[in-house]
Amino acid sequence: MTTADREPVYEVVWPLAPSAAAPTALASRSPDLAGKTIGELWDYLFKGEEIFPLIRRALAQRYPGVRFVDYETLGSTHGRDEAELAATLPALLRKHGCDAVISAVGA
Amino acid sequence: MLRAAAIAERAGVPSVSIVTTPFREQAAVVAKGVGMPALPIAEYPGVPMTDGPETVRAKVERLIDAIVDGLARPVETALTRAVEPAARDVVFRGTLDQVQEFFYARLWTDGLPVIPPTIPRVERFLEFADRSPAEVIGTLSPENRAATVWSIAVNGVMAGCRPEYMPLLIAVVEAIAEPEFRVQDAGSTPGWEPLIIVSGAVAKALDFNRGQGVMRVGRQANTSLGRFLRLYLRNVAGLRIPPGAGDKGSIAATFNVALAEDEDAAAEIGWTTFGQDQGFAKDDGVVTVQSVVSSSPPIYTAGTRALDHVQVLADVFGRACAYWSFTGMKYARWQPLLVIGPSIARVIAADGWTKDDVRAYLHENVTIPAREVERYAWHLGSTAFSLKALAESGALPPEYAGSGDPDRPVRVFPRAAWIGIVVAGDPGRNQSKGYVNNHIQGGRVSKRLALRL
Repeated sequence: MTTADREPVYEVVWPLAPSAAAPTALASRSPDLAGKTIGELWDYLFKGEEIFPLIRRALAQRYPGVRFVDYETLGSTHGRDEAELAATLPALLRKHGCDAVISAVGA
Repeated sequence: MLRAAAIAERAGVPSVSIVTTPFREQAAVVAKGVGMPALPIAEYPGVPMTDGPETVRAKVERLIDAIVDGLARPVETALTRAVEPAARDVVFRGTLDQVQEFFYARLWTDGLPVIPPTIPRVERFLEFADRSPAEVIGTLSPENRAATVWSIAVNGVMAGCRPEYMPLLIAVVEAIAEPEFRVQDAGSTPGWEPLIIVSGAVAKALDFNRGQGVMRVGRQANTSLGRFLRLYLRNVAGLRIPPGAGDKGSIAATFNVALAEDEDAAAEIGWTTFGQDQGFAKDDGVVTVQSVVSSSPPIYTAGTRALDHVQVLADVFGRACAYWSFTGMKYARWQPLLVIGPSIARVIAADGWTKDDVRAYLHENVTIPAREVERYAWHLGSTAFSLKALAESGALPPEYAGSGDPDRPVRVFPRAAWIGIVVAGDPGRNQSKGYVNNHIQGGRVSKRLALRL
């Protein structure tokens, strides 16, 4: 008989908890960004003030008629109360006619 | 940032999120937690804060295809839920060593041995709960799991708590589940750590250390309660350092043991307790949880008058907080904590000073040049930070806009009331210590205990 055979055996349970994440489908995409309105969501971190103008320029060269709703218009996304953001952002995107958004920078 | 994208997607607006390479794995945890594991990402390689303008330009040019792909390419989403164990399912049978290895391999421990969570042990904790095991206290992000009473008991067992601590464990989870605590940000790069503060007669009844060595491991109540919270954040909120993900604390720190106030000392000098300062009655059992991102050195002060002490407290605690004060200015919430040794509190109180007088002194006398505030903010990554803009928006009092002189002094503590004061530590020495809070991340939240001792 080994030492392990004489040791007590424990029946243990899972230390995690049920997931509350409901799988959600992404919004449908349009294959062409020409003529579309793109909103800029910035967390006011990590040089977004340099990055967004570069993106604007590159997309405008590639897609005629594309326009942008800048991050100053849509407001910072960082540190906002999530429930408040969820309550207000969709209406703001509708108000400015956003067909798509670019959210930056970080995680 | 990804959560804003998810809100847009739910509103029918397609999104792409620019995520830097070091945040990719954390982003995957967040995306899964919001129910959108396929949320499109365009990866910025490296760290923008160490890239010059030309490098930023070159990297953004290489991002454009991924941005277009994220916005325009249809994405199939699997709408099925993964099958996970039920609460009472036995997930493993084995010896003590085998249980440790099984849990460690699945990232379910903090690296220290755990007490095996068997059903009988969990049930002993539930006897002190007066709540249904299935009751959900709240949901914890980024992994977005339901904080059930059962899961609290399981992690309490694992952390080495006693069953009678269960009301405190529940209250701690109630606190971190409140929106103002922002547990979803507990994996941010500053690597802040929650600090639990226990108030009321319960601290003495459960043998919490309130005196010498109060913040050291070694007393079961203080230590296991602090360990429980770190373990719970790991297992239920989903905050794991590599090889896991979700916790991006760059250097970070280990868990804090729970802090308990020396309420006898506070009462003796006529000061309110910390629990009373949070709005509760003196006899209420209360737990408070707030973030701590760093601490001051030990602060030794001597003398027979209040000013002898508070001047040095302002110097040392003030300097410890000054560097991080831009975060409190930016988010208009910041709750540093000062632990004052009983012998020092006695001198200050004997000179007629209340806790509010100490807070007011710190508010009025600790300053930092505006230039330094803005410089530190920029280096962190708040590249658009401006004291003038914050003052104009009303987030800060008008004095922060000031004359525009970059060397003008601005107050380190924007609001006196935000400073917490606890009397604790070695009654036989003249030492205090300060703790720097991480602004709105880990904001101070207090909960009264439903206690049955």
